[in-house]
Amino acid sequence: MDYSHEISVTVNGTVQRTRVESRVHAADFIRHQLGLTGTHVGCEQGVCGMCTVLVDGQAVKSCLLLAVQLDGREVQTVESLGENGGLSDLQQAFKDAHALQCGFCTPGFLMTATALQREGRALSRDEIRDEMSGVLCRCTGYEGIVDAVERHLGGEGDD
Amino acid sequence: MKPAPFAYVRPASVADAVRQLSENAGSARVLAGGQSLVPMLHMRLMRPEVLVDINSLGGELGGIEPRGSETVIGALVRYTELETSPVLAERLPLLPRVVRHVGDRQVRNRGTIGGALVQADPTGEIPLACLALGAQVVARSAAGERTIPIEEFFDGSYASALEPEEMLVSVRLPLSPQHCAFFERGRKHNDFALLSMAIVANRDGDGSWRSVRIALGGVNDRPVLASAAAERLEGRAWDVGDVEEAVRLALDVVDPPDDVRASAEYRRHLVPIHLGRLLRELGGEA
Repeated sequence: MDYSHEISVTVNGTVQRTRVESRVHAADFIRHQLGLTGTHVGCEQGVCGMCTVLVDGQAVKSCLLLAVQLDGREVQTVESLGENGGLSDLQQAFKDAHALQCGFCTPGFLMTATALQREGRALSRDEIRDEMSGVLCRCTGYEGIVDAVERHLGGEGDD
Repeated sequence: MKPAPFAYVRPASVADAVRQLSENAGSARVLAGGQSLVPMLHMRLMRPEVLVDINSLGGELGGIEPRGSETVIGALVRYTELETSPVLAERLPLLPRVVRHVGDRQVRNRGTIGGALVQADPTGEIPLACLALGAQVVARSAAGERTIPIEEFFDGSYASALEPEEMLVSVRLPLSPQHCAFFERGRKHNDFALLSMAIVANRDGDGSWRSVRIALGGVNDRPVLASAAAERLEGRAWDVGDVEEAVRLALDVVDPPDDVRASAEYRRHLVPIHLGRLLRELGGEA
C-alpha cells in the first residue's frame, strides 16, 4: 500500500516530476510544492471556487482533486495568463470593469472565464452568471465581474 | 493537508478495482468525481484506509448508449456529459434538465452519475431523476454482478444498498417518457434543495395520462415515489379536482427532516403547493 507517489504533471507548460503524499490536495500541491501561490485556497470543501484551475482545459476546483490525480495531466494556473510581464486581455478587462476589489477571488474567476472562452459558445448575460456561479466574491457584488467577462467574450480584445 | 492518511491505488480495470475492494472490504472507498467524497475526507467525516481511484477506467465505465428501448449510462459519466449528450436530449430530457441544478460548472466537470447515486443525498437531483425514471442500478463485486431496482437502492440518508465490496458500474434506464417536469426550491443558487420533484408520464391521443411517476426529494430520508398520487392520476385527463386529490395523497410519503435550511413543517407546507403547480403546468403543456 502506497501513501506517497511519483507523479509527472505539466504545469503551465513545464513538466514537473515529483513525489506527493496521497492525502495532499492539488491546490496545496500547486501552492506549497510548486510555489505557485496565485491559486488561492478558501473553503477547502468545494464551495468558494478560489482554487479553480484548468486540468486538461477544464475548470475544476483543485481542493477537490488529489495531487496524485494530476499524474499525466496538463494543469494551467492563473500564472499562465500574464503576457510578457503585462496583463492578458482578460485580465485587462477585469481591471477596466472594476471586476475586483480585494482580489482574493480573482484567480478563480479568471480561470473559470478562460475555460468558458475556450468553449467558444455565445452566451447571454444570465448564462455567463450561471457559468461563473461556482466562484464567490464578497466585495464586488458581481456586476463588474459579469461586465468584464461579457465584454471579453464579446470579442473586445482577443486572447 | 487535511484528510487522515490513506493509501491510494489506481486499478487498471474494473476487475482489478473490485479485487481491491474485496481485499479491503469496509475500509476502502471508490474515488470517482470526488466532489462529495473529498470534502468528507477533508472534514474527516470519512477516514478510509484505501482510496480506489476509478478515474482512469473511462473505457469500461464511460459512455451513454441506447440499447433498444433502454439507455445505459456508465458510472463514470460526468454531469457535463449528461448535460450535453444528444442521446439524452432525445430520449431522457429529464436528466439534462435536472443536471443543470447540480453544483456549478467546476463540480459538473468532475462529478459523476455513479458517484451521485452512491452518495445518496436525499436532496440530490440525480437520485431524484433516476427514481422518477425507474432506473436499474448495476453493481459489481469480485463475486459477480447484480442489478438493483432504484426503488430498493436508497437505504436512508446518505446510504445506499451497495455492499462495501461492491461498486456501481452502470445505470440502466428503461423508459423514454414523452413528458417530464422538474422543480426544486433552494434557499439560494447552487445550494442543497429544500425540496425537489420530478414527474414523468406519457399521454394518449385522447388526453389521458399513462405511466405516471412522481418522485419527491428533500422530504424524507431518501428520494421517494408518490405512488398513490401517481395512481390517482393514471389513465385520466386530469382536471383541477384530480390534481388537488393527488397532491393530498402525495403527503403520505412526506416525512421531512428539520434542519438548518428549513423546518419539517415548512417543507410539508411547500409540497402540495409546488406539486400542484407542476402538475398543472405539465397538464397545460401538451
